[in-house]
Amino acid sequence: MVKENSIRLNIGPVHPAMHGVLKLILDVEGDTITKAQTEIGFLHRASEKIAEMRYFSNYYPIMDKLDYVSALNMEILYASVVEKAAGIEIPPRAVYIRTIMAEIQRIMSHLVFIGSFGEDLGNMTGFIWALRERELLMNVVEKISGGRLAPMYICNGGMFYDFPQGIENEILEALSIIEDKVKHEYNAMFTKNQIFLSRTKGIGVLTKDMVKKYGITGPIARASGIRRDLRKVSPYLAYDKVDFNIPVENDGDTYSRFVVRVMEILESIKIIRQCIKDLPAGSSKTAVPWIIRIPKKDTFVKQESSRGEMGIFLVTDGADKPYRLKLRSPTFFAIRALEELLVNIRVADAFVIVASIDPVMGEVDR
Amino acid sequence: MVTLDKLKSGFKGELEVLTEEPKLSIIRIKNKKLIKKVAWQIKEEFDILYALSVVDYTPVFELNYIFSNYRNADSLVLKVNIDEKDFSIDSITDTFNSANWEEREAYDLFGIKFNGHPDLRRILLPEDWPGHPLRKDFKVDDEIRNWTGLDLKF
Repeated sequence: MVKENSIRLNIGPVHPAMHGVLKLILDVEGDTITKAQTEIGFLHRASEKIAEMRYFSNYYPIMDKLDYVSALNMEILYASVVEKAAGIEIPPRAVYIRTIMAEIQRIMSHLVFIGSFGEDLGNMTGFIWALRERELLMNVVEKISGGRLAPMYICNGGMFYDFPQGIENEILEALSIIEDKVKHEYNAMFTKNQIFLSRTKGIGVLTKDMVKKYGITGPIARASGIRRDLRKVSPYLAYDKVDFNIPVENDGDTYSRFVVRVMEILESIKIIRQCIKDLPAGSSKTAVPWIIRIPKKDTFVKQESSRGEMGIFLVTDGADKPYRLKLRSPTFFAIRALEELLVNIRVADAFVIVASIDPVMGEVDR
Repeated sequence: MVTLDKLKSGFKGELEVLTEEPKLSIIRIKNKKLIKKVAWQIKEEFDILYALSVVDYTPVFELNYIFSNYRNADSLVLKVNIDEKDFSIDSITDTFNSANWEEREAYDLFGIKFNGHPDLRRILLPEDWPGHPLRKDFKVDDEIRNWTGLDLKF
């Protein structure tokens, strides 16, 4: 029931300040939100139904379009679950290449977050800067895989092509530029900028209890003081062979969520450098037939994607297609917290909070 | 796992342990009416409902509740069967708040009713969508493929 002096505000699904096609229904009194509802499903493409109609090798392009800002993470997750179910071992070089690609994609994804977060605050320079740095890695991914946003690089048993000659030096060059910019220029633009601080500090506080109530994972949970990262808790790929830290902040506000992601970029750079140093020689692919049959079993794999813990529950029945494939997406749980986070704050701050969740609707709606 | 031993002794005859591994244990309960009691026991060790996956083995639907916690990498899969005589099961949202949208999704895509759910509406599909698309008997034809959501004739 809408009260007399309150207005119902429909924002989205198509709105420049919304990330993708998220719709917010806000009850506003003056400038303060009294009730918030979220509506999702505008980008629902029935990915889980499509999986039941595709061979195991033909589903990678669909995984690319789930979280299209970190497509390689999705591909690696799907490859891991199929390989675990079918009992395929991949060579050590493929493990290291996958780790490098996953971390490159994580840096790119977090740079998009920094850019769009700045843009929502009216800081257009930050947006241009972040995309400029992302372009360096985009070019690297294009040289390696041939694609930019949806690379289609990973396949069952490894990846389609090995690294091209001399790409290691290009990656290292790009990383040293990004490290320098993130450490110095971004501090001046964001974390030492008085306007940025007053817009983000103490806004949208997500406590530890709320994180556990809604089942939120990933950088958002780490910004609220929960030290949990699947790369450390249950190491997969080559994460148990490299040395890195998990950045944790305790305040749980939008500023912490920003800082955690910036710190994660620096940790990812550390991981890539170690992986390139230890990159083993040899074959990069186990030969696997295009059409494989997996006996009847249930397989569950979870990995740390850029936005939190992404999981796949795969049910097979001996056929060449999955019987059922369930995608567990992290932002699906985080979006629900908006209904509590947006109450009793200003409308102008609502966009900052939505941006700090960093939703990609392709992954929420599936 | 401590909880697993407690569950085994607490629900003798009703609960069956399929696999017991440190990272992923799979258990099955035979009676769907026990789901709330079992969920209450699981809450002692697991913080969140990680995912709810429904599998259509017509005429039986199998619900896979996956639980996880924030301390370690353990997961627990709880399997419950419901049959076509009664597509409904008790909601566990009062124990696990994170189950809210997952149960709405299962209702949306499979048509399973969750008794006691606070807000059981469709979540991904439009309100007037015919049928439940992830069931095996849902046929994907050209009318579905070319659906735009607009009332237009070309």
